[in-house]
Amino acid sequence: MITRRLIVASAPLVVLAPSLALAAPAPAFTARDIDGKTRSLSEFKGKTVVLEWVNEGCPYVKKHYSGNMQGLQQAATADGVVWLSVASSAPGKQGYFADGAQARTWMSAKGAKPTTLLLDPEGVVATAYKAKTTPHMYVIDPAGQLVYQGAIDDKPSNKVEDIATAKNYVAAALSDLKAGRKVAVPASQPYGCAVKYKDA
Amino acid sequence: MLLRRLFAAVLAPLALLAAAASPARAEVVKTGHIEVELVSQEAAAVPGSTVFVALRQKIQTHWHTYWRNPGDAGDATKIVWTLPAGWTAGDIVWPTPERVRVGPLQDYAYSGEVLLPVPITVPASAKPGQTVTLKAAAAFLVCEEICVPEDAVVTLSLPVVAGPAKPDPKWGETVGKVLAAAPKPAGLKATWKKDGETLKLSVTGAALKGADFADAYFFPYSGKAIDHAAPQAIERGPEGLTLSLTAGFDFGPEATEVPTELSGVLALKGGSYEITATAGETPAGSVGLGSLPAAGAGSTGGSQGASGNGQTGSASIVGGLPVALLFAFLGGLILNLMPCVFPVLSLKAASLAAHAHDAGKTRVQGLAFLAGVVATFLALAGLLIAVRAGGEAVGWGFQLQSPAVVAVLSLLMLLVALNLSGVFEVGAAVQGAAGGVSAGSGLAGAFLTGALAVIVAAPCTAPFMAGALGFALTQPPAFALLVFLALALGFAAPFVILAFAPGLLKKLPRPGAWMDVLKHALAFPMYGAAAWLVWVFSQQAGGVALALLLAAAVLVAFAAWAYGLGETRRFAGKTPLVAFGFALAGLAGGVLLTVGALKAPVPATGPQVAEAGPGLVAEPWSPERVAALQAEGKVVMVDFTADWCVTCKVNEKTALAGPRLVDAFKAQNAVLLKADWTKRDATIAAALAEHGRAGVPLYLVYPKGAGAPVILPQLLTEGLVIEAVEKAAKG
Repeated sequence: MITRRLIVASAPLVVLAPSLALAAPAPAFTARDIDGKTRSLSEFKGKTVVLEWVNEGCPYVKKHYSGNMQGLQQAATADGVVWLSVASSAPGKQGYFADGAQARTWMSAKGAKPTTLLLDPEGVVATAYKAKTTPHMYVIDPAGQLVYQGAIDDKPSNKVEDIATAKNYVAAALSDLKAGRKVAVPASQPYGCAVKYKDA
Repeated sequence: MLLRRLFAAVLAPLALLAAAASPARAEVVKTGHIEVELVSQEAAAVPGSTVFVALRQKIQTHWHTYWRNPGDAGDATKIVWTLPAGWTAGDIVWPTPERVRVGPLQDYAYSGEVLLPVPITVPASAKPGQTVTLKAAAAFLVCEEICVPEDAVVTLSLPVVAGPAKPDPKWGETVGKVLAAAPKPAGLKATWKKDGETLKLSVTGAALKGADFADAYFFPYSGKAIDHAAPQAIERGPEGLTLSLTAGFDFGPEATEVPTELSGVLALKGGSYEITATAGETPAGSVGLGSLPAAGAGSTGGSQGASGNGQTGSASIVGGLPVALLFAFLGGLILNLMPCVFPVLSLKAASLAAHAHDAGKTRVQGLAFLAGVVATFLALAGLLIAVRAGGEAVGWGFQLQSPAVVAVLSLLMLLVALNLSGVFEVGAAVQGAAGGVSAGSGLAGAFLTGALAVIVAAPCTAPFMAGALGFALTQPPAFALLVFLALALGFAAPFVILAFAPGLLKKLPRPGAWMDVLKHALAFPMYGAAAWLVWVFSQQAGGVALALLLAAAVLVAFAAWAYGLGETRRFAGKTPLVAFGFALAGLAGGVLLTVGALKAPVPATGPQVAEAGPGLVAEPWSPERVAALQAEGKVVMVDFTADWCVTCKVNEKTALAGPRLVDAFKAQNAVLLKADWTKRDATIAAALAEHGRAGVPLYLVYPKGAGAPVILPQLLTEGLVIEAVEKAAKG
């Protein structure tokens, strides 16, 4: 009865291999951030890095930007974690940011608090990480090893009320890292909208 | 909302009056892209029994809802029940889903109409005469190119009766069919075995004996078990099959704790089975009878809910092996006349004419040629079968899908052409000029001619061959090899018959100076072949690589000339060393440049927007595009082609480009799609296999709306295409 016209998915023509091997070095990348600065993974060596695939129009992203995602970002960055949101929507597709200013406008409207947001309209970073959905989350330890990839939590839904009862995998992975433990859940099936890769 | 309630209030008493005719009553809710309602298998509920109530989704064309494991993206339909006290709802009985491809992502979904039955337990305390209301809050994600989450609260009024309940008059039969078709355990034994990235899933059991394994596919319940998008290679055995899956995270090399069980649905053409595999060795009964092409990634595979789709009619050879052998032989004969074989025919003619005066020598030559043809065909077939057994979706002509092979072949053709032009002679032949060709070198020459002929001819699947090869590749290896043998015999037959028929040979003119002229003339088809291969290479490897290959060609030509010079000097009793040195240097340079060409950066690999004749622009093909265009009411013609397939190119120029055809396409609202197989593509290979083919060309014309395509012959004429399109437009 309620019709929420929210837009998602698209059709890229890139061949994807199986998901990345875990506890393997995280793929290197270089991308422009909202300030026009070139950022690469190597500059964060020695720090824990979270990658968060984002598409502002996706209902699943909206669900978590009801406060959950911002809270995670704030807590993580306060702990010295580098949080990089990545927008890989191709030009003309939902979730595409034409420039840093446009991304910043959305971020301040939402009160998003990542370290920065990377603009990846060509899908280069997304392809390197084989990102499938928004959100799709990755946690990289200070040694540059990929220690978590998958969903943000264990309740695949687009309903805000499910957040309260869900187990947050990213928060769990970060606290495992902080305590020097092995990450208990190193992977899960990501859920959400398909990453809007550019058409080949 | 208000209006609907008002209607409900007005209609409710009326419905009570009509209760005798239609006891179970529900209301259809439209959520935007879906019409949802609850339907019951039985017209009433009996205390102490179970009644199946299904959530029926009528999904807008091109949109999907998702299976319990949605695949790479998407979300399964969820139902939350509100039931009278004591009544309980079980889990959804999920019908086998379809495989839906979204770019690099693979989803498991439903389209059209789908029923999701749920067992509802009726308590023994339920009172006959009472009418209960079952309420379901359904939440589902529905996607086309974009996704929309939709919700619906649907209800069903169900009377409670004491006696046995009758089927619901409207939905009883449909729900029954969905339940009957739903995956079930059938006492099948399943094991999984890790082999690096590959996860071998073997299933055996009585239900699988003699089953049709074409398009077999495993849908895992867990989203982390396998790589959903990877093709699943099929190997058959006497008691079942083995699927080569690509491990997902849970079974991957980095997984810390590998699950003990792998469960899901094995979908076959004849039915679907629930299986739970445990770790173990691959049972002998699940392998050994050869492989099948992996199920098409984008095809709509599963029988879905009530609306089973029998849309994919796969062509097969009626009559089995003998017919396939006959067609293969005929195909081999006809292959002699195909455009891509012509340059090699010229070689054969030249070599045969050279020995027309000596019956004994021509016979030996004929046999050597035959041996060359047979050996090469069987070697290629063996390689193809081996590669396919390894799970690669390759087909006939695959040898020209590798830029390296194309580059080497183009240089080889250039050398043959230069040789025919008289730029150089091979050592033995120089001596032969003085004292007649020795038996030994003639044998080797004829054998190599046969081999060369096959290598160049292979991609040109002649009309009779396509069916036979498609059949052959789905058969056990021994059968496949027999078919290829028949093909080789047919291919070699004209030459061998000529070599063994003195009457025919006598009609050939005696050797003389004219032979040099003929030889020089026949060099040009070979230059043509080299030029064509270079063009194919440029399509595969791009501009930089092309420049390097052309430079390599110049160096190789220089080497050939220097070698010829050296041979002449040697023949004249002078030292050939300097010339040979130059030849060697030239050749080495050529090899280095060729390697460089193969390492040159390849331009973007996405399918290029294909161009056809003036006014008729072919769009890139995908199974989804075909379905979408059909649904838009368009007639769709698909051209399965490759740059290395001359038959395809000839058809495109002669039958798919003329103004008459363009007008006909416009008039009939038809669209041309092009599936380019120049480079390997698993989706295209699967589509070819689906129509019983192992190679290109293949032409399909789909009627508008829906329905199976008509397969056109492999040699097209404009009139034939127009006729097929007009027929399809009429429906």
